[in-house]
Amino acid sequence: MEIIKITSIALIALIIIILLKQYKPEFAIYISILTGILIIFLVMDKFTGIIELIRSISNKSNINNQFIEILLKITGIALLSEFAVSICKDSGETAIASKIEIGTKVIVISMSIPIISSLLEIILKILP
Amino acid sequence: MDINLLFKIAAIGILVAVLHQVLVRAGREDQAMMTTLAGLVIVLSMVIKEISGLFDTVRTLFNL
Repeated sequence: MEIIKITSIALIALIIIILLKQYKPEFAIYISILTGILIIFLVMDKFTGIIELIRSISNKSNINNQFIEILLKITGIALLSEFAVSICKDSGETAIASKIEIGTKVIVISMSIPIISSLLEIILKILP
Repeated sequence: MDINLLFKIAAIGILVAVLHQVLVRAGREDQAMMTTLAGLVIVLSMVIKEISGLFDTVRTLFNL
């Protein structure tokens, strides 16, 4: 199963990092970045399956899939920013991590404006 | 894109560390710095290649 692969890769990387930390501390960060990428790639094909399912469901039911697209975009942005934030925090740069978080929040809010506006229209229509 | 990528980087790291020590003991500090920088550049090129692969995959997946 994938979970065994993921845990074994993480443990091997941990051992390598501990080994390398006393000689070359900067290589530990490279290995942690690579392990993150490796694990994300491991679950990537399951990810694509889920996203295809969501898209096919939204196409079948006549929800206008513009909102589903925006939601998927926001998930992608959240995935990437979480990847960067955890690496920055790991290497001790919490200031940079919080800047990335601020940027991500601004981007997500700016992308979700159409959803909010259409929600308001629906509410206004309902009100007498 | 596999576990041996991690082993490659670990090997380069250890090799650079050993070379650095040997060259420092031999009294050639500048060459020691050169080997460290060379190892750094090699590892960085690998890591950046993988990061760009990840970003492309996520971009095409979520069509960002």
